[in-house]
Amino acid sequence: MLSVKNLTRTYNSAEGELVALDNVSFSVKDGEFVSIIGKSGSGKSTLLSLLGALDTPTSGSIMVDDEDIAKLSLVKQTAYRARKIGFVFQHYNLITNLSALENVMLALEYGGVPAKDRKERAIQLLDEVGVEGGMRLRKPGKLSGGQQQRVSIARALANQPAIILADEPTGNLDSTTGKKIFDLLHKLSRTENTTIIAVTHDLDIAGKTDRTFKLRDGKLQQA
Amino acid sequence: MNPISRGIKNALRSPVRAGAIILMLAVSITLLVSMLVARASINDKINEVKATAGTNITITPAGIQGFMGGGDPLTSEQVSTIKDTDHVASITATLSDQLGDDDTDLESALELGSFGQRQQRFDSDSSETTPTPPSDETGEDGSRRIMGGPRTTVTGTTTPDNNGGLSFTSGETIDGGSGDLVALVGATLAEKNELSVGDTFTMYNKEFTVKGIFTTDNQFQDSGLIIPLETLQTITNQAGAVTSVTATVDSSDNVATVIESLKGSLADKADITSQVEQAEQNVSSLESIAGLALVGVIGAAGAGAIIILLAMIMIVRERRREIGVIKAIGGTNRSVMTQFTSEALTLTVVGGIVGLAIGITVSGPMTNSLVTNGQTTASSNQMPGRQGGPGGMGRPTNFNSPGAQIDQTFKDISSTVTPETLTAAIGIMLLIAIVGSAVPAWFIANIKPAEVLRSE
Ligand SMILES: Nc1ncnc2c1ncn2[C@@H]1O[C@H](COP(=O)(O)OP(=O)(O)O)[C@@H](O)[C@H]1O
Ligand SMILES: [Mg+2]
Repeated sequence: MLSVKNLTRTYNSAEGELVALDNVSFSVKDGEFVSIIGKSGSGKSTLLSLLGALDTPTSGSIMVDDEDIAKLSLVKQTAYRARKIGFVFQHYNLITNLSALENVMLALEYGGVPAKDRKERAIQLLDEVGVEGGMRLRKPGKLSGGQQQRVSIARALANQPAIILADEPTGNLDSTTGKKIFDLLHKLSRTENTTIIAVTHDLDIAGKTDRTFKLRDGKLQQA
Repeated sequence: MNPISRGIKNALRSPVRAGAIILMLAVSITLLVSMLVARASINDKINEVKATAGTNITITPAGIQGFMGGGDPLTSEQVSTIKDTDHVASITATLSDQLGDDDTDLESALELGSFGQRQQRFDSDSSETTPTPPSDETGEDGSRRIMGGPRTTVTGTTTPDNNGGLSFTSGETIDGGSGDLVALVGATLAEKNELSVGDTFTMYNKEFTVKGIFTTDNQFQDSGLIIPLETLQTITNQAGAVTSVTATVDSSDNVATVIESLKGSLADKADITSQVEQAEQNVSSLESIAGLALVGVIGAAGAGAIIILLAMIMIVRERRREIGVIKAIGGTNRSVMTQFTSEALTLTVVGGIVGLAIGITVSGPMTNSLVTNGQTTASSNQMPGRQGGPGGMGRPTNFNSPGAQIDQTFKDISSTVTPETLTAAIGIMLLIAIVGSAVPAWFIANIKPAEVLRSE
């Protein structure tokens, strides 16, 4: 259970205070697939970064399994990201000089999986997302966008996170590949009972999720 | 894989850039190593010169050197003053005299030669200043004595065996404190006069017994005689007089102090020289070269640190996003810092090995050119003509001439790479790597993982 109350994040910019997220409250059940839509600059990424403990809110609380993420120390934030959260980014953000397999193993390393178990588990994860055989040993530069995003989903799943946060995961892909990636996420949320919160521009995709939130100027509107 | 092996792998991620960084590091480490080696070698030599110089101070009457010059010998009070000076462990007092044909039945072992003739051409006029033995008090006798052939040197000393420094071919040393009519005879002189231990000869109308025959590597000394100081003072009518005192100081640290107090107590009555003082003058230019080398060491280490620092800052800035991603997926600050430190260390170690190899190769020529360039200054520091001694008329009492030895030291500074130098070089290299990683580590700690969600 994820429960957000009165979440606000303001930035101090040259033009004065900017309210990126304005008193947002909502809750999400375990295993629910939620999409977030909204114009550029409406605060979608800001919300995801707060949910994933990449950033600390100006005020408000984020309760995950009875723990307030907003109040974690920097060290605990890191541990929380490693074990409870999986990130999927628009630009994949794989480590360029590590192979697909090594990228997944890196997340396992940070999740505290013993070194001897990492390779087997990484292969298993890559199989799940459809990256197989010689592809596993390729560096990201030698993979297509769709393949890279699959690897990044495998990486996000590595430590069996409670929540996967995806920021425009299909934004860089053609619509067919984007649909496949979306279907993959959808399937995983079913089989692994993982909560998925995905930002998207694609209303088709948003329509297929359990629930859709709309952000406008940092304010949440149930769509 | 772990952060360390990832760092090593990342170091060689871009071979061209890694090569450039390693090359720059290698150059600075080459300089570092050769300067360290030069400094260590020069310091070794400085210490060696200072150690060889020993703890002796030579006091001679002002204006007298060997048999040359003029003035009064040192008196017995002055000798006691020297002896009673703090830190003076022991003294050797010496009086020298030269025997003409009529003073002895010994035949001189020295050929006068053209040099000797030239040196003696004034002696008929200056006979008054030469200490005259009792049997030769008439002027007529005196001039005849001096106009004779080459003369034999007789040295009266309190330490006839030069504190164990004299080697005997037969017999043994005599007691320098006695007034006995005994003598040690140089091998060349003994051979010329067919003398052996137990034989007697006449000098100043006294019969002396040969107690020992000695050799040195010096032809002049081997042609001379050594007798107890008091004996020579008595037979030449110079009670208490000495022409040279060598004071041995208890420790080399106190030599300067003793010289100071001797200069105070003897004032301008005596010339005071010590090998330590001369050595210090001689090594002062070496010391400035060593100082220069130290500046080189610091400069090279600084340059190395700046090279790796800038390289790492560049690398960290370039990989901001990657660092953000690592943090976002749960990598700790420490893990990222370990990875980048390992990367910096890899570059430094590779650059270091290359630099060390080149540095060891070029350190020899480098040291030599440093010393050769500095030597012009070095030789001008030496007192001209002081140490050599004017041939047959030189310092008969000085068994070991200090000057020649010190001169030589400048020419054979050998640069050797010692374990200490290597340890220092490697230590400084690690320090460079640490400095090179510290600032980037601070950058790393300040990269916010939220940045990865911001579109480029
Ligand atoms: N680190 C930051 N510093 C200052 N302003 C920021 C920062 N991050 C985001 N913003 C601003 O907050 C607002 C919301 O940004 P963001 O959450 O990235 O929007 P979206 O992802 O919906 O496009 C924007 O106006 C953006 O310029
Ligand atoms: Mg965004």
